Amino acid sequence: MAGIWVFAEGAEHTLELLCAGRKVAEQLGVHPVAFAPDEELARRYLAHGAREVFVLPGLAPDQGLEAYVPVLAQAAAQEEPDVILIGATQRGKEMAARLSARLDTGLCSNCAGFEVDAGSGRLVMERLMYGGAGVQKVVCTTRPQMATIAARAFEPAPAGEDDAKGTIRSLAAAPSSPVKVLHRTPAARGSVDVTEAKIVVCVGRGIEKKEDVKLARDLADALGGELACSRPVAEELRWLPEEVYLGISGKKIKPQLYVGVGVSGQIQHVTGIRDSRVILAINKDENAPIFEAADYGIVGDLYQVVPILIDELKKTLKH
Amino acid sequence: MLKVIACFKWVIDEADIRVDAPNRKLLLERAAFKISPYDRNAVEEAMRLQEQHGASVTAVTVAPASAKNCLKDVLSRGPDRAVFVNDPSFADLEPARTTGLLAAAIGSFVEFDLILCGEGSSDLYAQQVGPALAEKLGIACATYVNKLTYVEGENRVIAERKLEEGIEVVSVPLPGLITVLPDINTPRIPSLKQVLGAAKKPVEQLTPERLGGMPAERLKTMGVVAATMERKRLRFGAGAEEIRSVVDALLKEGAIG
Ligand SMILES: Cc1cc2nc3c(=O)[nH]c(=O)nc-3n(C[C@H](O)[C@H](O)[C@H](O)COP(=O)(O)OP(=O)(O)OC[C@H]3O[C@@H](n4cnc5c(N)ncnc54)[C@H](O)[C@@H]3O)c2cc1C
Repeated sequence: MAGIWVFAEGAEHTLELLCAGRKVAEQLGVHPVAFAPDEELARRYLAHGAREVFVLPGLAPDQGLEAYVPVLAQAAAQEEPDVILIGATQRGKEMAARLSARLDTGLCSNCAGFEVDAGSGRLVMERLMYGGAGVQKVVCTTRPQMATIAARAFEPAPAGEDDAKGTIRSLAAAPSSPVKVLHRTPAARGSVDVTEAKIVVCVGRGIEKKEDVKLARDLADALGGELACSRPVAEELRWLPEEVYLGISGKKIKPQLYVGVGVSGQIQHVTGIRDSRVILAINKDENAPIFEAADYGIVGDLYQVVPILIDELKKTLKH
Repeated sequence: MLKVIACFKWVIDEADIRVDAPNRKLLLERAAFKISPYDRNAVEEAMRLQEQHGASVTAVTVAPASAKNCLKDVLSRGPDRAVFVNDPSFADLEPARTTGLLAAAIGSFVEFDLILCGEGSSDLYAQQVGPALAEKLGIACATYVNKLTYVEGENRVIAERKLEEGIEVVSVPLPGLITVLPDINTPRIPSLKQVLGAAKKPVEQLTPERLGGMPAERLKTMGVVAATMERKRLRFGAGAEEIRSVVDALLKEGAIG
């Protein structure tokens, strides 16, 4: 049976893929099919537009989600779906790559959007390349057409009007996997979610020492915003937690204002802030690429500029 | 002896890419090439295993025949030898083709216990080749690894995966494949002696003919355009007056307040 399959780690992400999948399914005249870890979620996906849900039996304690790859591969070989959309979490990306290799088919990684070519039934998919400098358009020339899609790329599928109609089927349990999970440590969750902030002040390597991060924090406080950073500030210097670094491999934000403080503006960073409504950059190098990406660029030493900026903001925002 | 392969890709340095904004074109002609940054971590990790366990290290790449400079570059970083899968037609290969060629080359011509790959390449960043290669070779894999330990005598590695939800420590039987994150190590800069010595190391050349032909196309690129952004690009000096006018403009735009 043909269909548009969606698989993601979380329920929210699954509903988003279901939203994308429903659009394709309508245009191709086939059914959207989702994967769920239990019957309860399966019924929820049916209520949100899936016409069939496969329930995946639980895993052994030493198995990771990737253990489902052979199960998905076998189901796909039997059912021959037209399209498989997988949530682009890290596990999802590994699973999609392995599944595409097993099924000998094309995979568009981190698909940012697509159109269905009505004539050929092919998805014309867009993705970023060269650190975000280029937009690549691709099609899968083989079946199933596969793509991974990041969280929040689509709205969650709304609940359907009619009652949940459709079937729930259980798949075979995952076979034992060669890779054994020995230990899991959940990430310590910071309290801030930079993707939610309206105003973001970003610390770049132009800040000379860890204590000086306070300067950027004072600016963020004056603006009523949150603090974020470039990748090296989190990954190399470890001055701020990894969940607040922005860019193609970090968080993508859409605030009303982004303020870069000593950020050079390499393309991998700019890709994460591209959707900001207004971009302000402070950098002492007038040739820094960030100025090409900014609405307002202040050319100067941040140690001189930021205190003045804070003063001016305090004067202005007092009332 | 532990036999390690480090896969690497020769990529355009994206910092050199210029944009012809009105035509949404990327100007790539003058860009230099480099070893993809995450692959440098893969090579470095292989060298660390050599230092600790006396492993042999082979660097393997799929690249256009013209990319000869990649061999000296990678060999100066320590590997004992290189395998250069090349053909003049190999520019801009899609991940499935790169994977197919690597699988054919490694499967038939290179003995190994452990394959190391970067988590993705800095040009396409499709993050497919590592795990897909493991699948094609029928071996175990672990992705997004930021700590790797070889367990001598037990024919396995212990890998710490850094995932969205936290750290997952896994045991991977060998032969196996690991994709590494950039913070697994800090790649060393090659010394002058290493750079000079690189030219003398053996390189095996493989062509698609010897590998049973070119893998079929799976993903076709219809086009690439420059990602452009509408911005005001206004410049200001560092004086109090000019900063004041920036604040006023932000207020007027409704960005603050
Ligand atoms: C595959 C890949 C993926 C990547 N992904 C990301 C990503 O997701 N996010 C990310 O951020 N990076 C990413 N990077 C790294 C990226 O290319 C840049 O190296 C990084 O963004 C630079 O960080 P920075 O601007 O803080 O530091 P730098 O590039 O070192 O810039 C510091 C800036 O501060 C300025 N400065 C110095 N002193 C002062 C002063 N006193 N006053 C004012 N200005 C000053 C300098 O002029 C300079 O422009 C990636 C790289 C690769 C290869």
